Amino acid sequence: MARQIAIVEDEPAIRANYSDALRRLGFEVQTYASRPEASSGFDIRLPDLVLIDIGLGDEPEGGFELCRELRQKSATLPIIFLTARDSDFDVISGLRLGADDYLTKDVSLPHLTARINTLFRRVDALRRPQGAEATLKNGDLSLQPERMRVTWKDVEVPLTVTEFWMVHTMVRHPGHVKSRDALMRDAQVVVDDATITSHIKRIRKKFLAIDANFDEIETMHGAGYRWRA
Amino acid sequence: MTLRLKLVLIALVTLLLPWAGFQFIQQMELLLREGQERAQLSSARALAQAFVATAPALPATGRVAVLPDAPPVLLLDGSPDDWQDAALQPWPSVAPLGRVHLAARASTLYGLIEVHDPSRVRADPDPLAAGATDHVELRLGAGDRRYVYELGNAAPGPLQVRVDAPDAPALRGEWVETAEGYRIEFSLFLPRDGLALAAHVVDAGATGGTRSHPVFGDPGRGEDTLLLWLDDAGFSRALQPLVPPGARLRVLAADAHVLGKAGNLDVGDIASRTPWPNSWIYRALLAPPLVDASDYAWDLDTLDVDEVWQALSGIEASVWRPSNNERTVIVAAAVPLRWDGAVRGALVMEQSSDALLVIANDAVAKLMATSLIAVLVASLVLFGFAGILSFRIRRLRNATERALRPDGRLDPKLPHLQSVDEVGDLSRSFARLLDELGGYNDYLRTLASKLSHELNTPLAIVRSSLDNLDHEPLPPEARVYADRARAGADRLWGILRTMHEASRMEKAIKAAEAEDFDLTRVVRGCAEAYRGIAGNRQVHMMLPESPIRFHGAPDLIAQALDKLFDNAKGFTPEGGWIRIKLALDVEGVEISVANSGPPLPAKMQERLFDSLVSMRDAGSLRAAGEVPHLGLGLYIVRLIAEAHDGSALAYNLPAEAGVEFRLRLKGMPR
Repeated sequence: MARQIAIVEDEPAIRANYSDALRRLGFEVQTYASRPEASSGFDIRLPDLVLIDIGLGDEPEGGFELCRELRQKSATLPIIFLTARDSDFDVISGLRLGADDYLTKDVSLPHLTARINTLFRRVDALRRPQGAEATLKNGDLSLQPERMRVTWKDVEVPLTVTEFWMVHTMVRHPGHVKSRDALMRDAQVVVDDATITSHIKRIRKKFLAIDANFDEIETMHGAGYRWRA
Repeated sequence: MTLRLKLVLIALVTLLLPWAGFQFIQQMELLLREGQERAQLSSARALAQAFVATAPALPATGRVAVLPDAPPVLLLDGSPDDWQDAALQPWPSVAPLGRVHLAARASTLYGLIEVHDPSRVRADPDPLAAGATDHVELRLGAGDRRYVYELGNAAPGPLQVRVDAPDAPALRGEWVETAEGYRIEFSLFLPRDGLALAAHVVDAGATGGTRSHPVFGDPGRGEDTLLLWLDDAGFSRALQPLVPPGARLRVLAADAHVLGKAGNLDVGDIASRTPWPNSWIYRALLAPPLVDASDYAWDLDTLDVDEVWQALSGIEASVWRPSNNERTVIVAAAVPLRWDGAVRGALVMEQSSDALLVIANDAVAKLMATSLIAVLVASLVLFGFAGILSFRIRRLRNATERALRPDGRLDPKLPHLQSVDEVGDLSRSFARLLDELGGYNDYLRTLASKLSHELNTPLAIVRSSLDNLDHEPLPPEARVYADRARAGADRLWGILRTMHEASRMEKAIKAAEAEDFDLTRVVRGCAEAYRGIAGNRQVHMMLPESPIRFHGAPDLIAQALDKLFDNAKGFTPEGGWIRIKLALDVEGVEISVANSGPPLPAKMQERLFDSLVSMRDAGSLRAAGEVPHLGLGLYIVRLIAEAHDGSALAYNLPAEAGVEFRLRLKGMPR
C-alpha cells in the first residue's frame, strides 16, 4: 500500500507541484490549504509523513500550531517544515516542536524526495528489530545510518535529518576535513556558508547538552570541519 | 562671523549708556553755564544802569580820541616845533586841510590845527565877520551843555575867539599865517565832564560863499563829534564804586574804545589756550568754545570782539574764556549802556567762574567709570551667553554631523533633547528628521532581504514547476526552452540568495558569541586553506610566530577573511600574488589582505564597503552566465569588523603595485 503524505500549504501552485511530484513517485498525497482543514483531515486519519508550511493563510504561525497538534497525536510521525522563511529563530522554533527536518522552499524536488525517502527508511528501520544493522562507532559516538540514530555516551542525540547527514559525513572519515561544500552536498541542502556554520553550531549544542566536555567537531578555519580522530 | 563675535558687537550697544549720560552732563553743564551767564548778565545790566545814573553821559555818536599827554614844554606860539615829541593823532579826513594835533595835560586840552587854504579871506579886525571869513568852528559838549567857539583872526597874533555863551570854558591860543594857509594853536580848559569835541574848518571862498570841512570824524557818515577821553578821566572813577568783588568792569564807547576800567579778577588771565593736563575729559568732551584770552587783555585800548559789537548794537552777550587756573574760567558779559533809550556805549563785566568745571569733570569721570564697568559686565555676560549658546549649537552640529556616518548609517545621539528653548526644538527636529532618515535607511537596507523573501514563493513555484516539467514528455525543441527557463530561474535564485545573505549575516553577527582564541591560528588555517584554491596565484603569509590572544568570533573572522580572499582572488591576474598579513597594532590587531592587480578608482575607496557596491563589471560576468556580483562581500566584511569594534579600509599600494584591504580590530566587548 502506498505511503500517504500530507501537504499543508496555502500556496495552490506549490501545493499542486509538490503533490504532482510526490504522486509521480508513487506516494498517495493529500493536500490541505489551511490549518483547520488539515486538523480535521488528520482527525480522520494520520498520514505517514507531513510537509507543513509555517505561514498558513492568515495564520503566520499556523504551521507551528499544527506541528504541536500532530506531535500530540503521534510521537513518531515524520514532520518536515517547508517554508519561505529561513531565519534561525524559525528553525529553532520548528525543531523544538519536534519536527524532523526543516527545509526552505528553494529546495529542489529531488532533494525534497531524497529527504522523504530517508525519513521513510528511518521509520521502517525503527520498526525493525534492532541488531542486524551496521553501526558506526567512534569513541563515545555510535551512529546507526538506517535508523538515523546517533548516541553519545549511549545517550541519543536528537538530530534532524540534515544534521544527521552532516555528522554522518564527518564521522565516516574521522580526522578528514570536510569542506562546507561537501557538507552541503551530503546533507542535500543548498544554503549559504552562514547557514552551515549555524547548523554546526546547533549540532555542537545538542552534543554539549549531553556532555559538557564535548569537543569532537573541530573547526578548520578557511577549510571546513572535521571529526577528531 | 561667529555668533559669539556678533553678540559681542551687539554688546557694544551698551556704549549708548555712557553716551546718554554724557549728553545729560553736557546738557546740565550747559544749563548751569547759561544760569551763570544769565546771572552775570543781569548783574552787568544792573551795573550798567547804575553807571548810566551816576557817570557822565556818553555822546550819542562819534569817535573816541585818546588824548596823549601834552609835551612837557608847550608854548602857545603857533609853532608846531614843540609838538614834535607828541604822538600825532592821525586824522585822515583832515589831511587835505593840513594837520591836527591834540594832547591833554591836567584837564587842559592842547590843540594844533594847520589849515591849507590858498584863498585867504581874513576877517576884519573888528567886528569879526566870521561868517564870511576863514575860521575854525570848535564845538565842545560838556555834559548837557554845548559851547560853540569861533576862532578866526584877521592877522597873526593871539587867537581871537568868539563864544556863544559867557560861561564857556576859557580858550586861548595863537593864529599864525603860513605859506599854505594858517595855523592855530590853542589850549582849552576841560571841565570834568567835558567830553565831546567837534571842529570845522570854515573856508571862505573868493566869491563870498563858505565851505565847511569837518575836522574830526567822517563827514560821509556825519560823525563830526570827537569823544575825548583822558587817562584820568571820570569814567574809571565812576566805575570804581560799582565794581563787585572779584570782577572787573570796562566801559566802552560806541566804537568799542575803552573809556574806563576798574576792578580785579581773582585769577590771572592767560593769553593763550594752554591745555589743562588734568581735565582732559572735560576739555575733550564738554568744554564750551572758549575765546582767545588775548582778545580781552586788560591793557587793550579797543575791545574789538563780537560780544562787544553785539552789546553796542543793543543786545546783551556773554562769552567764556580760560584763565590761568585750570579749574576756573572767566565769564565776560557785555551789556549796552543806554542814555535816553539810545545805546551810546557798552559795559563789559568779567568774573571768574569755578566749581562748574569740577562738578562736570567729576561727573564725567564717574560716568565713565560706571559706564566702563557696565559695558564690561554686559559684554562679559553677553560673551558668556554667546559662548554657551554657540557651544550648544556647535555640539548639536557636531552630533548631527556625526549622526550621519560616512558609510551612510545613522548614529543619532543628539544633545539638548530636553531643552525647552529653540536649540532644544532644533535638536528635536533633527532627531525626528534623523529618525525618519533612519527608518528610510533601514527600509532600504532590509529591502533586499524583504524582497528576496517575497520573491521566494513565486520562485519556488517556478522551480518546482520546472522540476515537474522534467518528468513530462516534451519534444526536444521544447526541452531547450525548459532548460533555459531553469537556468534563468537558478540564476534568479542565486541572486535572491545573495541578497538574503547580508541580512542573515547581520543576524548571525548579532547572535555571535565572543570567545578567546588564537587569532594567529585562525588566520594561518584560513591562509593555508586558500593556497589550495588560489590556482597559480601565489599566496604569501606574514604571520607572527607567537599566538595572538583575541576576543571575538573566530567563525566571523574566518568568514571575513574568506570574503577578502575571494575578492582578492577575483582581481588578481593569473600568476599574481596575494599576501595575507596579521600584525599587532597599537590598539588591537590588523589583518590585511593585499593582492597584485589594478588599483581602486579613487571615488570607490570610501564606498567600497557599502552594501550593493561592486567594482566588478556586471556585464562581463553576466555574459559568463554567473550570478551577478552584488557587492555584498565587502559589506559583510565591514559588518564583521565593526562587530569587533574595528574598521575596514581599502588602499592602493604604492606604485600601483596592487590593492590592500585592512581590517583593524580591537575585539568584541567583554
